[in-house]
Amino acid sequence: MIEELVRYVGLVLVVAGCLVNLIGAIGLNRFKNFYLRLHAATVSTIGGTFYPLVGLALISLTMSELGELRFFMGGSLVVAAFILLMLAPAGSHALARATHRAKISKPEPVIADHLAEDRGG
Amino acid sequence: MRKYFVLVSIVLATVVIAYITTYLRALGPIGLDTRYLAKLFLMLTYNPVYRELTAMSPEAVTSIVWDFRGVDTLYETVVFYMAIIAALTIYRGVSYSSIWGGYGLSLIVRVVTKLLIPINIAIAVSIAAHGHLTPGGGFQAGAVLAVVSVLLAVTYSASSFIKLGVSLSKAVALRSAGLLAIALVVFTPIVFSALTGVQTYIMQNYVKIDSSFSFPTHVWNQLISGTLIWLNLAEFLAVSFGFFIIFMLLSLREEVVREQIGEKDEH
Repeated sequence: MIEELVRYVGLVLVVAGCLVNLIGAIGLNRFKNFYLRLHAATVSTIGGTFYPLVGLALISLTMSELGELRFFMGGSLVVAAFILLMLAPAGSHALARATHRAKISKPEPVIADHLAEDRGG
Repeated sequence: MRKYFVLVSIVLATVVIAYITTYLRALGPIGLDTRYLAKLFLMLTYNPVYRELTAMSPEAVTSIVWDFRGVDTLYETVVFYMAIIAALTIYRGVSYSSIWGGYGLSLIVRVVTKLLIPINIAIAVSIAAHGHLTPGGGFQAGAVLAVVSVLLAVTYSASSFIKLGVSLSKAVALRSAGLLAIALVVFTPIVFSALTGVQTYIMQNYVKIDSSFSFPTHVWNQLISGTLIWLNLAEFLAVSFGFFIIFMLLSLREEVVREQIGEKDEH
């Protein structure tokens, strides 16, 4: 019973990840400037990769036919998901910050730009 | 028009190559059967019955790379070693201590990098130590560990190497230690032969038809596959610090290098 439930939760996470990936891809294609596209890319790295990895970890933990190897698989998937969860925001932050400092792309639509105000811009 | 030409030539080349490889059978007959050589490798990578032919490792790639064609891999390692010697020769006389200290990236990226580096080192060591059991091995693990130096140079600036006490000469010493360890494993059978008079071969792993010398396959009931684990670990050391040296040299600024070598800027 509980195994079935965990497996279905994992499947739901994988399917949700696919949908988020699709949305991220559409956003990456349709959005107008760099910052908006970066947002779409981050949506698909976290929503489209982190959630499916956690889902796969749950699915592999319930597969008793894998024997003890399922803990190995589930553990590596959780570690990979955790590393991704740390890295993706830091990477997009570094990209956005570098672009803002170099003034390569103009942020628009802009409501408030505190970073530019702090730098006296 | 030009785009159209490129597209047509790509399609044409694909069709011609596909025709040659499939209908003209340039790569031999195509079928679902496993070829004889593949069958041989699959049978002999882990086979406790044919002890004089097997590599006793469930990982086919590592058994081929370090056992069946071990001498070839040894030469590859030596070529890599020579390439780094060439790079060091170009940069001779350049002192790393006068490097310009930068600020690196923002606090967020620096904290994440600090968290990532221990994970990175752990993954690299596990890839090297499991090289004879799972895909991976010394070279791959070395490449993974070398990423640490790039992360340090980019997020903390290249002057962080000096702060951490890593110098070029130390990296060269560690890399040479790795290569020395490989040489030790390779020549152990010869030394054994000189001491006992038993016939052995260079880079020998297990017993052969006319030689009784063998490295242990198991230690404390753990499969270590004879020389494979030692060669993987030694290659890990040699490759990781080889890449480390290259990345340290590449992170130097051109002006600093020119100034230290004493070369005038001609432009």
